[in-house]
This record gives sequence, C-alpha cells and structure tokens, in this order.
Amino acid sequence: MSMNLAASGEPAGSAPAGTDGANVARRAFAATRHFRPVLVLVIVLLVYFSLDQSVFLTSSNIENLLTDVSVLWVVALGMTFLLLTGGADLSVGAIASIAGILAAKLLDLGVPGLPVVILAVLFGALIGAFINGFLVGTLNLSFFVVTLASMITLTGVVNIWSGTKSYFVNSPLINRIGVMNTLGLPTAIWIMIVTFVIALYVQHRTYWARDVYAIGGSRVAARLSGIRTSLILMSVYALSGACAALGGIITTGRIGAATPQPDPNLPLQAIAGVLLGGTSLLGGQGGVGGTALGVLFIGTLQNGLSLSGVSSFWQQVITGVILVAAVLGDRITVRGGIGGLIARLRARSVAAQASSAEP
Amino acid sequence: MTSELRESTDASRDGAVQLELTNVYKRFGGVRALRGADLKVTGGGVVHGLIGENGSGKSTLLGVLSGQIQADEGQIFVDGKPVSFANPTVALRGGIAMVSQETALADELTIAENIFLGRRMARGFGGIDWKATRRRAAEVLERLELGYDPGWLVERLRPDQKQMVEIARALSMDTRVLILDEPTSSLTNDEVQALFRAVRQIKATGVATIFVSHRLDEVFDLVDELTVLRDGCTVAQGSVDGFNTRSLVDAMVGKEGAWHEYARPSSASSARGGTAPALQVTGMTIPGHVDGVDVTVEHGEIVGVAGLVGAGRSELLEGIFGLRPVTAGTIAIDGSVIQARSPRAAIRQGLGFLPPDRKHQGLVLQRTIDENLTMVATLTRSRWLPPGGNELGQKVEEVAKTMRLRAASRRALVSTLSGGNQQKVAVGKWLMADPRVLLLDEPTRGVDVAAKSEIHELLKGVAATGVAMLVVSSENDELIQLADRILIMFRGRIVASVTAREADLPTIARYAGGHI
Repeated sequence: MSMNLAASGEPAGSAPAGTDGANVARRAFAATRHFRPVLVLVIVLLVYFSLDQSVFLTSSNIENLLTDVSVLWVVALGMTFLLLTGGADLSVGAIASIAGILAAKLLDLGVPGLPVVILAVLFGALIGAFINGFLVGTLNLSFFVVTLASMITLTGVVNIWSGTKSYFVNSPLINRIGVMNTLGLPTAIWIMIVTFVIALYVQHRTYWARDVYAIGGSRVAARLSGIRTSLILMSVYALSGACAALGGIITTGRIGAATPQPDPNLPLQAIAGVLLGGTSLLGGQGGVGGTALGVLFIGTLQNGLSLSGVSSFWQQVITGVILVAAVLGDRITVRGGIGGLIARLRARSVAAQASSAEP
Repeated sequence: MTSELRESTDASRDGAVQLELTNVYKRFGGVRALRGADLKVTGGGVVHGLIGENGSGKSTLLGVLSGQIQADEGQIFVDGKPVSFANPTVALRGGIAMVSQETALADELTIAENIFLGRRMARGFGGIDWKATRRRAAEVLERLELGYDPGWLVERLRPDQKQMVEIARALSMDTRVLILDEPTSSLTNDEVQALFRAVRQIKATGVATIFVSHRLDEVFDLVDELTVLRDGCTVAQGSVDGFNTRSLVDAMVGKEGAWHEYARPSSASSARGGTAPALQVTGMTIPGHVDGVDVTVEHGEIVGVAGLVGAGRSELLEGIFGLRPVTAGTIAIDGSVIQARSPRAAIRQGLGFLPPDRKHQGLVLQRTIDENLTMVATLTRSRWLPPGGNELGQKVEEVAKTMRLRAASRRALVSTLSGGNQQKVAVGKWLMADPRVLLLDEPTRGVDVAAKSEIHELLKGVAATGVAMLVVSSENDELIQLADRILIMFRGRIVASVTAREADLPTIARYAGGHI
C-alpha cells in the first residue's frame, strides 16, 4: 500500500523522459514528505498489532478494518480538496443523512437502485455547490460559519422531511454496496479503491486540481491570474457534497436502513484524517495520498485496540495526541530536523528576554 | 553645503541635542539601505525636515529610530545618552512615536478608545474608567486645536481626520519626538494647512517633530532644520536658512545644477502610420482615485507612470485590468473597445497585470516554478482533461532561459527562490501568456540591483517584440531607465507627460509634488 502511494505521489506532468531510476526514486521519496510521519505510524501500528494479535492479519479482519472506515474514507477524500482550498465542510454528516433519506424515499416510489444512487449523489453535489459553495465562493462568507449553519439547517430539514423515522431499505444494489462482495472483495472496498484512484488522477493530472492548489496558496494571486475562483470553490464543495452523499448510501447499505440522525463525528473525523495525512489547514499543501494513510491510521487503531479489548475511549485519546504530534512532526521534518526546531524556540525566547530587559 | 547648526533653542538641556543618530548602517540582503546616515534634532519644539528621493533610505532611518528596524551599525543618543531601541514599544517608552503613512486605527472604536488603545485607564476593580479616558482624550484633542468629540466613531472620519487622531494618540504618550512619515502625501491643500497648524501647536508645547516630505514648498513653510539623504548617506544637514530650492534639489539628486527649468510637457508621441494604439484609455474615472485620465500606449512602447503614494497610479492599472469599478471612460486594445469586468475577462482580451506584491498577489509560493509559469497560459484549457502536449514545457524552458532564472529545477517550489528570481517568475508567467498589453505595478520592488537590471533588459526585449507596457514605479530613476515616456500623476490626474530623454529626477519630483 505504502509503496503504491509513494510512487503515485509525485507531481503531475513532471516525469521527463529518460531520467534514471535513482532519480525517480528520490523524487518519489520527496513526494512523501507531507505524510511521512503518518506513514511511519501506520507501519508501526500494523507491525505491532500483527505481532500482538494473531487474528489481526487475517484477511477477514483486514476486510473488516477497511469496510469499517469506508464511509470515512470516501468523505475524507472529498474533504481533502476542501482543505487544500483553505476551507472545510462541517455539513458532510447532514448531507450523508439527507442523501440516505432521499434514496429510501425514491426506492419507496419504485425507482430502481442505480438511478437512485446516482440521484442521491447528484443531490449531495447540488447541496454542496449551491448552498455551501455559493455562500463561501461567491459571497465570500467564512466556510466555518456557512458549513456550521448548513449542518444545523440540514439536520433540521432531514428530521422534518422524514418525520424522524428511519426507512428500511431493501434494494439489491444498496445492499450490495453495504454488505455484499463483488468479485471476491466487499463492494465497499472496491468503492474505496475506485474513489482513491479517481482522486489521485484528479489531483495529479487535471488543471482543476492546480486551480484548487493555487486558490489555497493565494486566492488573490489565483484571481489575478484569471482563475475563476468562485466557480472552482463551488465545484470543490460540490465534490465534497457528492462524496458525503456516497458515504450516506454506503451507511444506508451497511445498516439496511436510512436514518435521519446524522453522524456528528463524521465531519470532524474526516478533517482529522486529512490533517493526519499532512494536508495543511491553511490550504495549498498536501493531497489525497496522505488522507488515505490518515484514515487507515484511524481504522487500524480502532480495529487493533478493539481486538486487544481496549476501551474505544483510549482510541480517541490516542488519535487526538497523534494528531498534534503528526502536525508537529511535519514541521520538524520540513524545517531541518528537531535540532532546527529547538534552535528556533531558543532564538525566540532569547529575543523575548532581550526586548524585556531593555530599559 | 552643510550650514551651521542653529543654536539649540528652548527645551534642550545642558546644550546637548535632543536626539541624534550617528553613522547608521543597514543592509538588507545585498542592498545597502543605509551607509553612514546621520540625523540631529537640535532641541525640543523644533520641526526637523527629512528629505530625499524614493529609495534614499528615509523609511529605513525612521524604522531604526522608531525601533522597527535594528541597525547593523550606528548609535542613537537621546539627550546625549546612548540608547537602543529593540522594538517600537521600547522606543515609545523613550518618548519617540511615529505616525506612518498607513493609518493603524481600530475603525469600530471611538476616538477616545483609539487614543488610549493598548493602555487602559483602570479604576481599581471598577474596570475601565471611561470618564477619565474621555477627559484625557479631550485634553489631547484640545492641544491640537481640533474640534473633535472623543466619542465619535473612527470609521466615520475622513482620512485626514484619522491621521489627526493618530497624531493625537502619539502625543498622548508623553512623546518628546514625533515622527510624521509623509503626512501630506494624500491630503488636499486645506487639509495640509490644518495639519501645519497642528504641527505648530505641537511645536509650541516643546515636542520636536521629524517631518518627512517630498514637497519642497512645505519644507520651506514649516521646517526649522533639515537632513537630506541620498543613497543611504546624509549629504546635507543644518538650518533651513542655509538652503534654497535649488541647493536642496541639487543635494537630493547629487548633481550640481540639476535644477533646470523645463518647457511645458511634450505632447504624447503621435500614432505610428495610422495603426490604432495598442492601448487607449480615455476619460477613465474611479471615484476617489482616478479622475478622467487619458493614456495611450503604442505597440512596443513602454510608458511609465510616476507620482506620489495616493496619486492614483496603482488604481489606474487596477481599473484597466477590471479589478476596480470604473464609473466613466473607455478602454480600447488595438482600436477595439473592451469590457473587462474581471481579471479573467481582461486576460482574455490580451491584457496582463503584474501586481506589486509578488508574495501574495503575484505568485503561489508553495507551488513549483513550472506551475506558476503556466498558470495564466493554461487558463483556457479544459479543467478535466490531463495536461497535454510538450509544447508548453518547451516554452517554459525558453522563458526560463531568457529570464536567466536561477533555480535548481523547474519543479523547485517558488518559495525557495531568492526575491529576484521570484520576481522573474512573476513576470515570466505573463510572458508565457503572450499578452498584447502588459500592466506592471512596481516591477522590481524588493529586488537586488543585479536582478533589477536583468528584469529591465528583459522587459525592453519584450517591448521590442511589439508588446505595449504601462509601468508604475515609485522609483523615478527606474522609470527614466525603462520607459520611453513618463506620465506624472497628481491626485488622480495626469499633470505632465515627459519623454525619457528630457526627464530627470527633479522634473519628475516637481510635477509629482503638484507644481506645474
């Protein structure tokens, strides 16, 4: 997994013909710099749990581990592009829930499974584009206020619309997405693979992603270069909305019912996964490779600790501590090792003393 | 040149001068901003003029004095005692306060709150003592003979009134030396007179004022003694009685007999062979900034725009590029009128715009050289298909070579480059897009001398291929080197147009100061 990521993690349109293997390897290594800390952590966790728990490395457990994080995975991939623009979406849980209810209602009307899934995902994209994206991208409101407000509003809407009751879903396609296998693997894992490959392609091989990075780096510079910043921002929120809706469909399939109670942890956990993967909250730096590792870290920790019989609250404690440590670790590697960090802290305190000692 | 120092007046103690800076050196990277500058304020209640061209080191010297910049060498004496200012707070405690060109007030607070910003008048456990705050604020405003109510909100004030509040704020801190950095640059004549009255009030209370100005008539009106800086050195100082306009300009420019009288500005060069000019702006008006401006730039011509801060130079370029709402006027490229309501529309009509701040406006620092260079050129490509073809790669290679871009690789992050090379990338991304008209705002700001001349050569070479350029710079000698023709703006209007051959620093300085 990690080799795979490293090789595909290099910048787009960059490999000139005829470079030797060492060069390519060096560049591949350089491309991992944003998620090196979490890469190390995931490997450590994998080694530790496979030595500690004999069931950990069985194929059925790995399948469990992955399908447990499939919703988080899909939502976090969409969220990555938002963080790259310097934003985030707190309403993904509500969008997932409303998409599930929409799917259930459409199924009740007798619409077949495939159109239902497509319509639900489109619906999520529309909410993202025309509520969150419009308010943030065109009216320049703060993403935090906007997505917090749409989270609250949509949670209310989904409860009113469903009459607070859950809908049982008995569609072959949605069941297959949630709990069945396709070609020998759980369908949810196939969805993880496909969404990841698409996200990698988009990130590395499209001008759209370059616009996203440019906006995150400097929205003013992007606008002055002629990039349609409002339109791009709307499309990023649309993407995040679509991913959330897909997450909602997977959840519906896994439970076998659509519920009007949004998962309150989903948005923040998705943001945590993206941050663990080395994407900057300020925008412009990072990518989906790191996000995949960040989500894998959360999943591995969850799975391994529950196998060891450790309380899930410990998993929260560890995730929180590691989140800060990973961001700090990134800073250390970026700016010349831990020695550099200490030197900078010392210089700062010396300067503070000097200025306060002044008459 | 140096005149005898005036005998120190009233408030000076024991014959020691109030404030003295000696032999100050400061280097920023490769640029030597100060190389042995001196400044001597001979007593309290003195108005001291600090004069010099743009780039002569005035701001750096004031920065050193107010604790914002640490000098490499040199000493500061207050009342004959050596002091050192590690930061502005320490300087304030030493009685030195600066009012800079940009106002730094909290708009949502009242005048009184702004005057005491950062210092609270507490009353035991009773919290803030609003009564005392208002009373003290009223006292300070009274001292300046301003009829302002301390309870007014700052956001309702005009810019000149805000400046007065800043001066009041500086005076409220037991200031002994007040620094005013180009306080008149954006004021009307009446406002200037009001400011002068305030400065004379300050003078009467025994506070010394350091007054920075470009306008020579102000200097002779207001100032008691002065210091002239050129290229980071003090070239003349002393009582104002020892100077006249002519000797002052000679000292600023560093050339005997630099002060010539010039004929009326020449008319713009006529269109060549009947073809439409590359850029023709007529009657452009941007309320509050630009007032009915006409500009014509021929193919291959470089036209400079000079003027003081606030004269409307940058706003003119922003208006053409669709960044500011224009209330009147037309813009034509190659004879056809364009509608540029956004930068994107302007770019598609053949315009390019190099913004003055490369770090935030011109470049995306965390992306590669390659991506920054192709950012504009790839605008019209499909956002969803993969970047195709190698022809852009070749063009990047070419542009990087013409610009003599020094970087480890084209995939290096722009943030890792030196200032000069960053600026080359910022310019290069427009060259990649083949614009017909290039608008450049401060094309070499914060760039070392070598890179500066390289960028100049590059721009001249591009102009030779027929691209029209409109260049704004606050360094007048840059415009003289680069431009074919220089327009001079003053308070939103173009007041003069001189060809590069007949332009020199005193002429430009005179027009830019509003002297026709």
